[in-house]
Amino acid sequence: MIERRAFRVMGTEIELVVRNGGADGAFHRAEHEFHRLEALLSRFRDDSELSRLNRDGALDAGPDLLAVVELALAARERTGGRFDPTVHDAVVNAGYDRTFEEVAPDSDGCLVASTPAAGAVRIAGGRIALGPGVRLDLGGIGKGYAAERAAVLLAAAGPCLVNAGGDVATRGGPWPVGVATADGSITLELLTGGLATSGRDRRHWRRNGQEQHHLIDPRTGEPSRSDLLRATVVASDAIEAEIAAKSLFLAGADRAVEEADTAGIPAVLVTGDGRTILAGGLAA
Amino acid sequence: MASHLGRLYALAFALVVFFLTWAVVAAHPWASPAPDRRLRALAVREAELRREARLVHEVVAQRWAAYASELKLRRARIAAVRSRAAQLAAQATVAPAPASAAPSVRVVTLPPLTITRSS
Repeated sequence: MIERRAFRVMGTEIELVVRNGGADGAFHRAEHEFHRLEALLSRFRDDSELSRLNRDGALDAGPDLLAVVELALAARERTGGRFDPTVHDAVVNAGYDRTFEEVAPDSDGCLVASTPAAGAVRIAGGRIALGPGVRLDLGGIGKGYAAERAAVLLAAAGPCLVNAGGDVATRGGPWPVGVATADGSITLELLTGGLATSGRDRRHWRRNGQEQHHLIDPRTGEPSRSDLLRATVVASDAIEAEIAAKSLFLAGADRAVEEADTAGIPAVLVTGDGRTILAGGLAA
Repeated sequence: MASHLGRLYALAFALVVFFLTWAVVAAHPWASPAPDRRLRALAVREAELRREARLVHEVVAQRWAAYASELKLRRARIAAVRSRAAQLAAQATVAPAPASAAPSVRVVTLPPLTITRSS
């Protein structure tokens, strides 16, 4: 028997699925965990820990913020800077300065000069200190982290899947997950691990007639000009999948295929010109 | 004449004594007086109430024992759930996922249970 619960938090739809019945308590705990983590990690809430860190430049952080920042910095190191949590100002400059529901689809606001990332972040003990003018955006990785935390809580009720707006965490597969391709969709049967999709097909808007989206290339500080429309990646968990999906998206189609095949990262890449590429060992 | 009068007195005295004795015997002075019906009813009612009170005490004692036993069980369950939740929370804090687990995936033709999209 499959039980589901859906709700909205972190600016996206969350879906919880459990394969056993009687999961009410676990659903409640998992949903509460999402709300708790949103209250800590959202850059749109003035009272969140992240907003206080961005405002004050330093903070004695709680364990969750600390864990997510450490994961993000490790990912920056590992991806050679393609994944970078210090893109906050660049995202804001592109126009994503409020929750996505409130961002005008087409506006004439002036665009600020691009803001390359790679800002300084130091962690000592439980204290996070940001370099001058550095602010963090933990949107994507925060959702992956929340999905994994919720999956841990949900797993007490049985085999489960958490879909946090595209970031999928599982415990006890297999789980058939639909992935949009250029001309329809395919189903990936996920036995273990997590899955995430990064793309410019959903969170996009126009500023002064220019197409903008939220996937910032940290090297330029501007929305990526990747020839990919979206990248879906399977990894050991939703956090790793989120990092890898963003990294492959920014790499562009050719490089992404090469990297996915070399590292054995199962990926579904959809290009802007309508091609679907399976890489990293995936075969139709 | 005097002896005739004497006999008459003796007879009268004997009659008086006889009737007095009759009256005393008829009065059953050795028997206890008959108890009042209302008192008897009260005594019966008291006995009934005492019996009912005993029954009520027994029922209360049984229910209290059942409640205490259920309470003990529930407390044990709550403690177990709390302990499990704390364990899970600690586990989640330390390790959000089994990082070393390699993902295992394949393309299938099954209908999807959920759909991923750009986050």
